[in-house]
Amino acid sequence: MPDEKTSGPGEYVVQMKQITKIYANGAAANRGVDFNLRRGEIHALMGENGAGKSTLMKMLFGLEQPTSGEIFVNGEKLVLSSPSVAIAHGIGMVHQHFMLVPSLSVAENMVLGMVPHKSGIFIDKAKAVELTRAYSEKFNLHVEPEAKVMDIPVGMKQKVEILKALMRGARILIMDEPTAVLTTQETAELFVELKNLKKQGYTIVFISHKLNEIMEITDRLTIMRKGKSMGVYNTKDVTKEEISRLMVGRDVVLSLQKDKAVPGDTVLRVRHLEYINEWNKKMLNDISFDVRRGEILGIAGVEGNGQKELVDMLFNFNTPNAGSASVNGKSILGLPQQKIRELGVALVPEDRMLYGIASGASIEENVISDRSGEKRFNKGPLFNMKAIHAEADRLIKEYTVLCKSRSQQVGMLSGGNIQKVVVAREFSNHPILILADQPTRGIDVGATEFIRKKLVELSRSGIAVLLVSADLNEVMELSDSLIVMHNGSIAAYFEDTAGLTDEIMGEYMLGLKKQSVEEVRRVCHDQET
Amino acid sequence: MTRKREIRFIIIRSLVAICIALLVATLLIFISAGGDTFHEKLEATGEALRQMLIGPLFRMSKKKGTSFELKRLADILAAMIPTIFTGLSVCIMFSANQFNLGAEGGIMLGAFVSAMVAIYVPMPAGLHAVVAVLIGGAVVAILMLLPALLKTKLSVSEMVCSLMLNYIIMYVIKFLMNTYLADKSRGQIMSYPFRETSAIAPIVNNTTFSGAKLTWGFVVAIVAVILCGLFMYRSRWGYAIRMIGINQAFAGYSGMKVGSVIVLSQVLGGFLAGAGGGVEMLGRYTSFSWSALPGYGWTGITIAILASNNPYMVPLAAFFMAYLSKGCDLMATYAKVPAQLIDIIQGVIFLFFAAEQFLAKYRQKLVVKSAEEEIARLNLNKEG
Repeated sequence: MPDEKTSGPGEYVVQMKQITKIYANGAAANRGVDFNLRRGEIHALMGENGAGKSTLMKMLFGLEQPTSGEIFVNGEKLVLSSPSVAIAHGIGMVHQHFMLVPSLSVAENMVLGMVPHKSGIFIDKAKAVELTRAYSEKFNLHVEPEAKVMDIPVGMKQKVEILKALMRGARILIMDEPTAVLTTQETAELFVELKNLKKQGYTIVFISHKLNEIMEITDRLTIMRKGKSMGVYNTKDVTKEEISRLMVGRDVVLSLQKDKAVPGDTVLRVRHLEYINEWNKKMLNDISFDVRRGEILGIAGVEGNGQKELVDMLFNFNTPNAGSASVNGKSILGLPQQKIRELGVALVPEDRMLYGIASGASIEENVISDRSGEKRFNKGPLFNMKAIHAEADRLIKEYTVLCKSRSQQVGMLSGGNIQKVVVAREFSNHPILILADQPTRGIDVGATEFIRKKLVELSRSGIAVLLVSADLNEVMELSDSLIVMHNGSIAAYFEDTAGLTDEIMGEYMLGLKKQSVEEVRRVCHDQET
Repeated sequence: MTRKREIRFIIIRSLVAICIALLVATLLIFISAGGDTFHEKLEATGEALRQMLIGPLFRMSKKKGTSFELKRLADILAAMIPTIFTGLSVCIMFSANQFNLGAEGGIMLGAFVSAMVAIYVPMPAGLHAVVAVLIGGAVVAILMLLPALLKTKLSVSEMVCSLMLNYIIMYVIKFLMNTYLADKSRGQIMSYPFRETSAIAPIVNNTTFSGAKLTWGFVVAIVAVILCGLFMYRSRWGYAIRMIGINQAFAGYSGMKVGSVIVLSQVLGGFLAGAGGGVEMLGRYTSFSWSALPGYGWTGITIAILASNNPYMVPLAAFFMAYLSKGCDLMATYAKVPAQLIDIIQGVIFLFFAAEQFLAKYRQKLVVKSAEEEIARLNLNKEG
């Protein structure tokens, strides 16, 4: 039930009215969002990745400027032009990736930018330590002032971040997915501390998509989806199922023309993959599945539930602690990328700017990167430039890359066209298995549609496709069958995507439901393990 | 950004850097120029600048006026020989994003090894110089495996390693010269004379342009420029080197053998520096007498940066550096300005090119303008 405005604006410490943010590349991250904070509440900001939560909070912290809309803090209309302005008005932010200097001590990090001095020149370390200790005690957040930041556990780093914000006079704390990096015990500890802060009158924004935590700690919640606010609710008046329905869902149900899949032999076979990350968190838990010729197997799930780690293992960006993965019977774990590619595996990487392209190089140089050594492109020691030009022109035409010429720098293209360059390369060198990791994230409708059609076309021609996507629309429309990942495990397997609803998906994606081991096991089509 | 804008940006950046460098130079000359009154100082500065800017190519005399001199051009071209080699060497290593500074020691070692072959290994004329230069290059190439393998296998900084290697090379050569190889009949520490079969012949007859040692080494250097250009832009290995330099993660993901290519780039860089040392030594000298690092490797770094790691631009950059160096020599001789000024000017130019953020705002403006135009055009297409 949406929360009605029962009282005047005086009660709100922050009011963001009709906030719209359009980035320079034309992407609308926020569209007419209203967001209000009451004094002394813990307010959850929920939504999938890309829903616009972070953008909204960046604007509140002065890191981004709204394209239109107004922000009031304590009833005063403000232009938050930079974080220092936001801090001056009592707004602090604890980033997910800590902004600390690892080689300095906790106390030194605490006083960065406001260093106490001895006789005007020397840094007064004793004073810094003393200050840190005082704040630590005042807010009951235990830290060791003299320890180096690189030597302390993640949970303590987070406390340092919180104390830093408090020391700078923050009365409103924005916490960006604070529990994502914490262990269960650390999370429990954090919640005690947050409740404590709330008692002292601090206001906390808690960005998260973990339902249990939100039910436990927050007073109210705002749900965002696709840049819009889906409403504000009192936490105690709303069920997990309702939240899940509001968070996960599709605007329009596209219907893509696609024939029924006729799956052939197993191409990719993954068994019992386990991975424990550097913070001792289990990111992959007994992952087993098969992908067969001619089918698209989708992996759905809220981001951060192990999908990225899974793809990393399959393309040797990382090594699992246990388990196996093979393509046509040949193990691919730990193989150099060159060998993996030789087996016929292509990857559309999630981070296209980091892995997908060399942005300073030309389109031509980008589309031949996986085949530059092949005979057809070389004449003796030199390149066969004619063949390379022909290949580049062919791919540009076939994949309708909008550009001035093949020698244009890739980094100068729009996001959609950059992704077309990536898929042009990955789809065109006769792969037998395509790993498509978030293939259409953040790109325009035209390019999205093109890439999706191409994926279906390729799978129907007998290629095995593993599609990882946080876009529910995409993964439900494209996949022939799909698995849902939650918390590093496979929570569900659906042999047929027809008849699946957003509600069912949402419940598995957010961990409200989990299929039995036997049900999940069905995705292993070759049963002799 | 369009190609045209990119080129315009590079030209503007180069011009601005040179102008600022000259401005600083003028100021320094003015301060150090002789003369008691402001007017005298100004006149001395003017004379010094004339010598520096047009002296390298033109003869200036009060009677005959200013006239072009072929000899002076030959001098400059001759001075370019070693720095073209080191410039190319650095270009290839820097293209792979490997900050190997070993060209300096490399050229000294290459010169030394070639000299030893020229002294102790009898061979027929013509072949002798070729073999000596190739061996010089090969030895340095092998030595460069050290920083390269340490980098790829153990992640040791190639910069620190190669930098220190320069001094090891220098002192080992000094030690060998002083203890075993010096010709005791001479008044200073120098080797026995090279066999005559090993000399690299001058292109132009020495009697016509006395002093200028413009040898066939210059032609070899230009051939090396073309080969390096082809290698970098027309071969799969050069392509891999450039892609790794632009985005190593991308290169690895694409299936390139990143480690091997990084090693290759430094071995090749070492070969070029070493061969350059051989060409310089056998072309210009008749016995080995270097007792310190020659400085060509450092100049090579400046040249590679001026040339934006493009081998084809190396001769231009080398010409610029040689011209400047000659100009400063003349200035020191005729206008009583300390020759050390060249170091300051070099330093200033280096500063402006090395700083990546230099003119970044201007570049950003161009990028934004390009992007805006594109978006506007796309919108038009959509509506139309």
